[in-house]
Amino acid sequence: MDWDQFDLNPKVIAALKKADIKSIKEILNLSGADLQRLMKLSSADIQCLLKTVSHMLRRNSMLTALQLYQDKDHLTSQNQKLSLGCSVLDNLLKGGIPLVGITEVAGESSAGKTQISLQLCLCVQYPYKYGGLESGAVYICTEDVFPSKRLQQVIDQQHKLRADVPAEVIQKIKFGNSIFVEHAADLDTFHNCITKRISLLLARGMVRLVVVDSIAALFRCEFGASDSVTKARYLQTFGAQLHSLSTRFRTPIVCINQVTDTVSDSEAAQCCCSVAGNRVSPALGITWANQLLMRLMVSRTPQPERPPGVMSHHTGSVRTLRVVFAPHLPPSFCYYTVKLEGVKGIK
Amino acid sequence: MQRDVGSLPLAPALRARLFTAGFQTVQELLETGPCGLSREIGISKEEALELLQVVRQECHGDVARTAAGSGASRKCTALELLEEEQAQGFIITFCSALDNILGGGVQLTKITEVCGAPGVGKTQLCMQLAVDVQIPECFGGVAGEAVFIDTEGSFIVDRVADIAAACVQHCHLIAEAHQEEDHLKALETFSVESILSHIYYFRCRDYIELLAQVYLLPDFLSEHSKVRLVVVDGIAFPFRHDFEDLSLRTRLLNGLAQQLIIIANDHKSAVVLTNQMTTRIGQSQSTLVPALGESWGHAATVRLIFHWDNSQRLATLYKSPSQKESTIPYHITSHGFRDVQPPAVTHSAEGAEMNPRKRPRREEEK
Repeated sequence: MDWDQFDLNPKVIAALKKADIKSIKEILNLSGADLQRLMKLSSADIQCLLKTVSHMLRRNSMLTALQLYQDKDHLTSQNQKLSLGCSVLDNLLKGGIPLVGITEVAGESSAGKTQISLQLCLCVQYPYKYGGLESGAVYICTEDVFPSKRLQQVIDQQHKLRADVPAEVIQKIKFGNSIFVEHAADLDTFHNCITKRISLLLARGMVRLVVVDSIAALFRCEFGASDSVTKARYLQTFGAQLHSLSTRFRTPIVCINQVTDTVSDSEAAQCCCSVAGNRVSPALGITWANQLLMRLMVSRTPQPERPPGVMSHHTGSVRTLRVVFAPHLPPSFCYYTVKLEGVKGIK
Repeated sequence: MQRDVGSLPLAPALRARLFTAGFQTVQELLETGPCGLSREIGISKEEALELLQVVRQECHGDVARTAAGSGASRKCTALELLEEEQAQGFIITFCSALDNILGGGVQLTKITEVCGAPGVGKTQLCMQLAVDVQIPECFGGVAGEAVFIDTEGSFIVDRVADIAAACVQHCHLIAEAHQEEDHLKALETFSVESILSHIYYFRCRDYIELLAQVYLLPDFLSEHSKVRLVVVDGIAFPFRHDFEDLSLRTRLLNGLAQQLIIIANDHKSAVVLTNQMTTRIGQSQSTLVPALGESWGHAATVRLIFHWDNSQRLATLYKSPSQKESTIPYHITSHGFRDVQPPAVTHSAEGAEMNPRKRPRREEEK
């Protein structure tokens, strides 16, 4: 760290170099008294040093909420979201997936989680005005093989799903070329993947969506009941790294999670299911839930619950997409089906 | 100003040189200036500058001491403190049950910590308070501004705009009912845009940025003297990973708590922190406890724990110096943080959002 570029008293700069302090992080990690002892300066000098260093780190970082509200620039605006490709689903989420933060899609097997994430991988490639981010996606598989046949099916039917987009725009996009598939079956490979490989793709602007399918599979086999502390540490590290990638590159991260049975009322309370009598709750517990910005749950709707008007049109089974928590959405839900062309909401 | 040179806290060698050169009072030193001093007593310019700095500090200290009377610190009686505290405003939350158990609302000059599982409403309360702190005095508010430090990225400004619109609407209703001159006047400047323009938003991506931001807060608050609320949402997130050395974490958190207490007192602001919950594994069962460890529990003056009971959200006052421990239900509507409506009124739109499964059609009708 080049201390000479800072607006400091030469005496302080000399003391910093003599004490072998190499970064702002080291300065802030020490208390005021420690700094005084280490650098042999008075407390007034140390206060001045701390303020100058903090100012260097945080200059021009203030925004008023009004500036955030009025920001219409698609590069920085909070209004910009990743559309799901269907207006009913987008309405439920008030625009789509937020660009900064980890969104979780949890549900039982074959409820439609992979279908939704495949759809997102295609939606991200559309231009901004059609709800996309004009970039590719990374799909990290942790257990199953990537569903390439299904992807091809959906690509072929894009014109049917996205009737709102002109055909020539859809034709120009080479969907298959921009989806990068990674396989990571254990924790170390996954760690390597998100710290090295994905940051490279993100830095080059080649992708603006990361899908992890699924995060629960990584933790299923390796941790017994006594390893809960190690498991929690891994979850927190992964969560923090994904969060940091998401913030640095303004890229949505979608993690697919599985569900476990809720044994007792207290567990149900922990996972904050606002639906009384729910038999399942998302896996990985509160440690993982603390890392999330938004949690969605998908389920196959049991027969009697179906609203009567729906039965005549949809022979495939009706599923439910529910918002469990999000800072900007009320707990709400909508129905959808999985068709040949993809996931479509039902009004 | 007429202080004798011999009484200054300097190195003996330096004092000897000053005597030999003929300096007797502090006034003479200040008049000479650094260049003159360095020439006359044969020291380098840096040393002369330092010397004068020490002299000025001592004089400043003398002036402060004489102004305050006996003793360097302020003395006051408990009665004065009581009157001061009673005159202080509270920041209301729009949930009257919560305001009641807090003794009127979120108190200024104190640190309030809100803990809870994800999704229970901590960020919603913070957003509500950032709006409510700006309510004009004639409507019972403190007419202040808010600083919002976001470490998780959960501050969604559209939601804040909705909460602000509901608050303005509420004040309009009060003004219409009472028809008083100062109400209408206050409403002229109380709008969604003005509310949003007085929320100062800082995004901190790791604990270093958070520490740096808190070092800069006192100066910021001196410049923006109307700020009456500082929110840190959440304090746990940047500190719960990347720390092999937990003692460093405890020390940093304690330092942070001390700085926030000083800020709360000096600038008469409320400080609100949100914390996560973690599982503590006991002998036969596991319980949810606030994160960041036992020692962090002492940092906040008032501690609220939000939790679920089936599908009802509850708030428990867990720690408070003046109020007793109690639990109340609350509700989060499209307007923000509110009371639970009594059963007769659940047919309104606000009630429908609480139990979507009972009224699926309401959601689709919207």
